[in-house]
Amino acid sequence: MNPFEVLGIDQTAGDEAVRAAYLAAVRRSPPDRDPEGFRRVREAYDAVRDEERRLALRLFGPAPLERLEAVLDEVPDERRFVGPGPWLDVLRGDRA
Amino acid sequence: MSKRDNRAADRSPMQPSTDSHASRARIESLIAAGKAREALDRAKQLFKETRSAEAEALVLAAYEARIGAMLAKGLYDDAEALAALVGQRFPAHRDRIVPLVKQRKSIAGGDLRTLLAELASAAPPRRREIEAILGRELRDPRQLADAEALPAGDPLRCAAKAVSDLFDAVTSGPLAPGALAALDGISRHSPLAPWKLLIRALDAYYRRADGAVRANVDAIPPDSAPARLVPVLLHLVGPPEPLDRPSPAVGALGRAVGGGRPVLRNHLAQLVRALEARDAATAVSAVERALPLCESVSVKQVLAATVLQQWSRLNLSPRPLVATLQRDRRNLEWQRDTARLIALTLERAGAWDQALIFWDGYLADANRAGATPATGRETSRVLLHMAGLFPADRDEALDAFDLDSEDERDAMIRDGELPECADPGRLLARARQADPDARVFRALVAHWEARDPRRAETEAEGWRQAHPQDLEPLLYLVRAAERRGAHRKAIELLDEAEAINRLHPEVRQSRFRLLLAGAERRIKEGRFALALADLDRLEKEPVTTAGDTFAYLGAVRSAAMRRNGDGAGAARLHQELASRLGNPTMLWLILSSVGELFSLEPPDAPDAVSPAQAVQALARSCDLFRALDRPLVAPPDLVARVEGDLDGASAADLHSLCIGGLAMGRPALTYAASGQGLSCDGSLLHRFLLARGRALAAAASRRDRDRAGPCLRAARELAGRARDMDAVREASSALDALVPSPELPPWVPRQPGADAEPPTPEEIARCLRAERAPRQVPAFSGDKAPRKRRRARRRMQRDLFDDLFAFLEKDP
Repeated sequence: MNPFEVLGIDQTAGDEAVRAAYLAAVRRSPPDRDPEGFRRVREAYDAVRDEERRLALRLFGPAPLERLEAVLDEVPDERRFVGPGPWLDVLRGDRA
Repeated sequence: MSKRDNRAADRSPMQPSTDSHASRARIESLIAAGKAREALDRAKQLFKETRSAEAEALVLAAYEARIGAMLAKGLYDDAEALAALVGQRFPAHRDRIVPLVKQRKSIAGGDLRTLLAELASAAPPRRREIEAILGRELRDPRQLADAEALPAGDPLRCAAKAVSDLFDAVTSGPLAPGALAALDGISRHSPLAPWKLLIRALDAYYRRADGAVRANVDAIPPDSAPARLVPVLLHLVGPPEPLDRPSPAVGALGRAVGGGRPVLRNHLAQLVRALEARDAATAVSAVERALPLCESVSVKQVLAATVLQQWSRLNLSPRPLVATLQRDRRNLEWQRDTARLIALTLERAGAWDQALIFWDGYLADANRAGATPATGRETSRVLLHMAGLFPADRDEALDAFDLDSEDERDAMIRDGELPECADPGRLLARARQADPDARVFRALVAHWEARDPRRAETEAEGWRQAHPQDLEPLLYLVRAAERRGAHRKAIELLDEAEAINRLHPEVRQSRFRLLLAGAERRIKEGRFALALADLDRLEKEPVTTAGDTFAYLGAVRSAAMRRNGDGAGAARLHQELASRLGNPTMLWLILSSVGELFSLEPPDAPDAVSPAQAVQALARSCDLFRALDRPLVAPPDLVARVEGDLDGASAADLHSLCIGGLAMGRPALTYAASGQGLSCDGSLLHRFLLARGRALAAAASRRDRDRAGPCLRAARELAGRARDMDAVREASSALDALVPSPELPPWVPRQPGADAEPPTPEEIARCLRAERAPRQVPAFSGDKAPRKRRRARRRMQRDLFDDLFAFLEKDP
């Protein structure tokens, strides 16, 4: 979990920007309606709430993951619309 | 059937047939059944035997069927070679066989024009055949939709147009509600039926309805053209379908649609398999392919950190991995980051001395490149971190560099035989220069305190000047002056501290402690009047009203009176104190301890002390002497008596005994009191568990010491729940100070999370059950925590990274 991505902020964001992003994220994931989302937001905020923590994260992070497959959890699961071309390329390409 | 007929029926197919009519019928039935190979063998045999025109037609039909079977399997080159052979052997039929192969081959290449032209006028049986071919070979429905050979109103062409339009739409954006209804007219026998399923699967994929994706792709006939997308779709929606050797088109599709995530998953799965098999070459190649797929630097860092960690655990040679990680020579920032990640990996593996070298290289490079200014918080934090890597045991730190003393180390640094980063003092001095921050000064003072107290005071003085409003350096200087007997200086410094914050609890305690120390010193010097004046002032301090402080001051006053020859006055004072304390044993303990300070004979022990009185006396005395930072001298027989009879003691007294036992260096007392405290649930449960863990950490046997970790982890968790943050911090410090199990090879990294992960409620309950169960009292190794076993040099890790150092030196 990259706290900057969870809060949707840049790594150079200051304390106020971090706080504002945290409050906005809490509004999106309030603890009563999205406890899991709130937990992630809270953990992310704890990790970057002041300059000292952000610096520590930059210098001494990230912690390695226990399982290599878990690296995938760090990558957003995007499903992009790319038009028919790349799909048809696979259909045409396999036996070409 | 007669025996003769049976024999005829049993003949081998290669045996010459006596009945050509029956053979012909058999060959035709084999062709119809799709058994082209057997039909061809029989037809060739028949033709050899009869050489008739009828047999020739039959063998040609069998060849045609065989070639058709080959084409159906995609063996176009084989089919073409066989057709050429047939053309040579039967030149009259060349024009019939060879174009058939060419047509099928062009269909396979995606050219459907001839087939579609034939479809326009084909009779129903041939139309069905052509439609079956279309089902297998149509790789773009637009070809059928745009086929001019078919009339505009041809139902198949119209359906193909609908499919083509929907395929474009579903891959270009979310479909409008009800859009899929356009597919309803396509029957499941249509050559477009697999496309209908594919479009539904794609729609489900973009709606993240992965179950529907799987249901639709499962129904796509495996020999149809859309079936070629089935493994790709299954791979895109997630495990367990990694693609083996995906084609470039599949790779491009994965990257375009899933942002590289599906392909990354595939490479990660390969990497995991390779690491399980300790196959470094395959693992490196998987890393090489996975890295470019990490679109953000943070993901790349996580991947690199995790791979490095696994690599280190498996003890594989790091050279090829590091070479792969640093392949992108133009990205200097990533090159530096890799060095940083290697340093962190080495730290986690326990190779702190090698981590230092990497940190040093990283910082030098970052400073040189201007990425990190030489002065500033970032540089300071790295240096502070580097200094923090040194073990608390100074001998262990020296061992790591094969040194006998710090003087030898300093000489070697001066001669350039050791890098400067081998000296934590130099690192901290650089950190202070980069950013004179309070935490740097704190580390500097702690570093020098154990080596050179005067230097520690100098650093604290520098701290005070850099942060004039900071009480911490002033209070340190007060204590330091007090320690070396500079009472006046201590008072002056305390005045400064009071000017900043008179109400700070430590400032108030310091004032009391200094006055008390002054009084004690004056008694020893025989300046009784001045001492008594000091005591008068002390009794007016608000701190005196707290707890049993008055009793200690009274005992000091009585010592002054006794030393001044006023025995009667001292006796009266004792009576007054006894009445105020309400516990003669406690007065005896206080007078004995204070008397020892002034070399006075201890008073007589009280008679007939009840167990409850003994427990309370010792508990309250522990609290009093700890609060005043004075040594409590408790007779061993009294302590032993208390340890053996704690029944009925209050939780507060038990807790005081737990703390007092640790302060007096009597872990057995702490063990007994914490055991009694643990026997019932209460608000101090976590505190008793913490005390039990700390006592067990000082046990003589490893078996008992191994119990300390679970106790401390459970205590930390329970303290966190009780919001007792002091206990949380204390438990964390005690956990950090636990001696690692000597059976573990030093290069084996501690399981990350073994300490960090909070224990589950079941684990806490198990720990409590175990500590509440009756056990033999452990033996404790003296009064101090066990000395750490001197470790042998970490040969393994050095070997592991030796070639890496050489590699990096060659290729900076």
